Amino acid sequence: MSMDLRRLLEAATPPLAEWAGLRRVRLSGRAYHAKDGRFDRAFDGVDEGYMIEVLSGGQFGYAAFAGDAAFAGDAGLEGLAARAGAAGEKALVLARSAGGRGLHRFGASVRPATRLRWEGPRGKRAPLGADLLSSHAIDLTKALKVSDKVVQASAVLFLRDEETESVSTSGAEIFQRVQLLEFSIQAVARDGNLVQRRSANGPRGRINQGGMELIHIEAQLEDARRTGAEAVELLSATDCPTMTGDLVLAPDQMNLQIHESVGHPLELDRILGDERNFAGWSFVRLEDIGSLRYGSDLMNIVFDPGIAGEAASYGADDIGNPARREYIVKEGILMRALGSLESQERSGRPGVANQRAQGWWRAPIDRMANLNLEPGKDGFDDIVASVERGVFMSSNRSWSIDDRRNKFQFGCEYGRLIEEGQLGKIVRNPNYRGLSSSFWNSLYKVGDPSTFEVFGTPNCGKGEPGQIVTTGHASPVCAFRGVEIFGGEA
Amino acid sequence: MNRKDELETRFGRAVDVLLGELRGDEELSLEFSGEDSVFLRFNEARVRQIGAVDKAELLLTYCRKGRTMRSSFAVSGEAGADAELAASALGRVRREASLLPEDPYQTLPATEGVSREVFAGSLPDAARLPEIVLGPAESLAAEGAAYVGIHTQGRVARGAANSRGACHWFETESFITDYSAYLANGKATKSLYAGRIWDGEEYGRRLAAERPRLAALALPPKILPPGEYRAWLAPEAFARIVPYFSWHGIGEREIREGESAWLALREGRKTLSPRFRLDQDFSLGLEPRFNELGEVAPESLALIGEGRLLDTLVSARSARQYGLSGNGAPEDEWLRSASVGAGELDERAALEAIGSGLYLSNLHYLNWSDFQSARVTGMTRYACFWVEGGKIAAPIGDMRFDESLYRLFGDKLVGLSRQRSPVVETSSYGRRALGGSLLPGILVEGLTFTL
Repeated sequence: MSMDLRRLLEAATPPLAEWAGLRRVRLSGRAYHAKDGRFDRAFDGVDEGYMIEVLSGGQFGYAAFAGDAAFAGDAGLEGLAARAGAAGEKALVLARSAGGRGLHRFGASVRPATRLRWEGPRGKRAPLGADLLSSHAIDLTKALKVSDKVVQASAVLFLRDEETESVSTSGAEIFQRVQLLEFSIQAVARDGNLVQRRSANGPRGRINQGGMELIHIEAQLEDARRTGAEAVELLSATDCPTMTGDLVLAPDQMNLQIHESVGHPLELDRILGDERNFAGWSFVRLEDIGSLRYGSDLMNIVFDPGIAGEAASYGADDIGNPARREYIVKEGILMRALGSLESQERSGRPGVANQRAQGWWRAPIDRMANLNLEPGKDGFDDIVASVERGVFMSSNRSWSIDDRRNKFQFGCEYGRLIEEGQLGKIVRNPNYRGLSSSFWNSLYKVGDPSTFEVFGTPNCGKGEPGQIVTTGHASPVCAFRGVEIFGGEA
Repeated sequence: MNRKDELETRFGRAVDVLLGELRGDEELSLEFSGEDSVFLRFNEARVRQIGAVDKAELLLTYCRKGRTMRSSFAVSGEAGADAELAASALGRVRREASLLPEDPYQTLPATEGVSREVFAGSLPDAARLPEIVLGPAESLAAEGAAYVGIHTQGRVARGAANSRGACHWFETESFITDYSAYLANGKATKSLYAGRIWDGEEYGRRLAAERPRLAALALPPKILPPGEYRAWLAPEAFARIVPYFSWHGIGEREIREGESAWLALREGRKTLSPRFRLDQDFSLGLEPRFNELGEVAPESLALIGEGRLLDTLVSARSARQYGLSGNGAPEDEWLRSASVGAGELDERAALEAIGSGLYLSNLHYLNWSDFQSARVTGMTRYACFWVEGGKIAAPIGDMRFDESLYRLFGDKLVGLSRQRSPVVETSSYGRRALGGSLLPGILVEGLTFTL
């Protein structure tokens, strides 16, 4: 633990504060973009700063300011301490301004005195330089261009390094660090007036914790060749038929399905109405927790912060609550919501360690982290064999859901008809719609561990002011009965 | 230091350090974004979270010998540390650029002169915000409505400078109270009070104006079956559609790369109603005209008119790649300060114009459902009503629409209102956004609802 952070906390804590905590966040990253066989863009960035939180009269106030300790020097540290002191005073003034107008009277119990050091997975492979990473991105776009019909081929490699350090007047000392890799490739194919897009697992779905060991040159080039070929295949496919049929979803679409129709409606701050002016409310009510039949018996959803490599694994959330694996939905019954210590205290309902912030400049709120569907017993072939008439869909391309997270419409890049238990022809523009509350009850097959894959999203938006965080979602292939399925072109 | 000048001072110091360090054949563009904000988040007319954020960032675009590298860092306002960070970033882009392949469409900084626009405001006392913002809303709470939302205030700044001498600064001190009032039946009104000069009386009048709207929302809702309905989209609802001229929109690059929903419009395969006119118009005064390269866009640019695509948004990079003239668009070719032409309908007679149909005050969570056919899906949200005989009959249960924008702004467009309203951008992902749109209400026939 950095002694500087303790000293800064001392400088930042106003004498009248009942409790104070200081969180330092350093976000750095570098990205290499290529397009159509050529360099497109390269970027790196460092963003470091602090948030002081002060408790007074049952209300937290916060103040955030930038500062990079590595560049502070002795004179700079003095300046940093002075700004921390001013920020602490500002946070106190704001906390006290609530005087009797707070939504809930909080105490320091919602900021545990956790002592923890946690690091995500990181291979021992030496960092690859800008030359190798940019040339790999260029090679990926060449591999995507399997024919002249591919009118755009693009690739992005985005490496991130995130470090968080927290201390508090009650004794918390937390250091956490993760590295992440986002791998994105996309081909746009055109034939006459017809355009189709294909990516590897949907827009920005391939995000994992880890370092250079996640760069698999040959496997990624093969992925690119397949993606390009499928974009071209889609040009000669027929449009997805309109039907009410069985829907088989690949894990990369389950990623989105879990995120939108399980994760968001179960965020406890949404259920409590905090998000009603922006992201929305929930069709789930407080009294549903512990009894609502959310899905069929086959539905087992876990909040699991411990899967190595999954994008939102961590040791503790941003208020210092140690993270543990918990069942959210067990055999179809809603067991608990995604609520932090603050939301748990407000609602009297069980929750998880999920109060997270995008960076030093945002206060933590209830978020998803890793939210996964546990594998079942059926192999992929068994699932397909169970379908009389339906569609297999993979890779999200369109997503929209109402403010209660109930009425949804999702679309995929790639589909295949299933008739009488056999995978048939490719279909383009596959879409489906339904209601979260009934959709999960139509889950009738859950794939075995051989079909289980880990994806995530780097850009889950929520909150006022707005915040974007990374989430992870792992799932097997799943099948749903009697879903409204349709194609493109109005 | 005078706090009012502080963001500009940070920008100026960073520019001096970085441009002062440049060597012979190096070129640099600098883009600054900063804010000094207070956020009051509330639920049930009580404080949920309250805090302040002082945040600024500088993005460098470095060019040398055909190579391009970008880098960003947080600018703290601590002069010594910021100078070191700037020097470190410059050292990093030099090293990295030397390792990169050639940038085939490198865009060097533009020479576009100097500008400075600073708009001072008069904001509520931050130390009394809960009292000032939530106190007047207690009357709504007394009537059973939950007051939910966020009040944001403070300075927001953008700057751009480059090694060819351009230097631009835009700073505004403003507030946005973005709020909803929810009834126990789950129905809500949504409103925005935004500006530079806070007027407590005006705020009180706006809150009082929620009452008749809430009374209408207390009526039993009408549940409509899927189908096609005549509908009036208020400017706030229309504003949710405006980003679809940017995302897979009318940027030259997306059109060339096959990713634009407006490809058929460009290629003359489809047309829109001649009533529909779309311009980019910076005379709205909500955001700066300069982009990250220091280029200044024309004050007005006609984009869609006479049923056709008149122009596209062309960045310097697209201009270089496709051999065109740029029009000051940022590299992402996103539409700024959208202005849709007024029509003939009287907004005050919107209900009569609807006759029987829907009045939609807002929409939610739109997305392309099929961008090839410019089909967009989304939900109705907040105060949306069934109208019968030119009068509000009942609030509706929220519905999902799925409609091609070629038809919405084509054969289904009945008319636009002659009154237009500014709709301010409220996004705060990463940083507080600037900008907004000037929009009329629109009346459409046969809007398709699916769920």
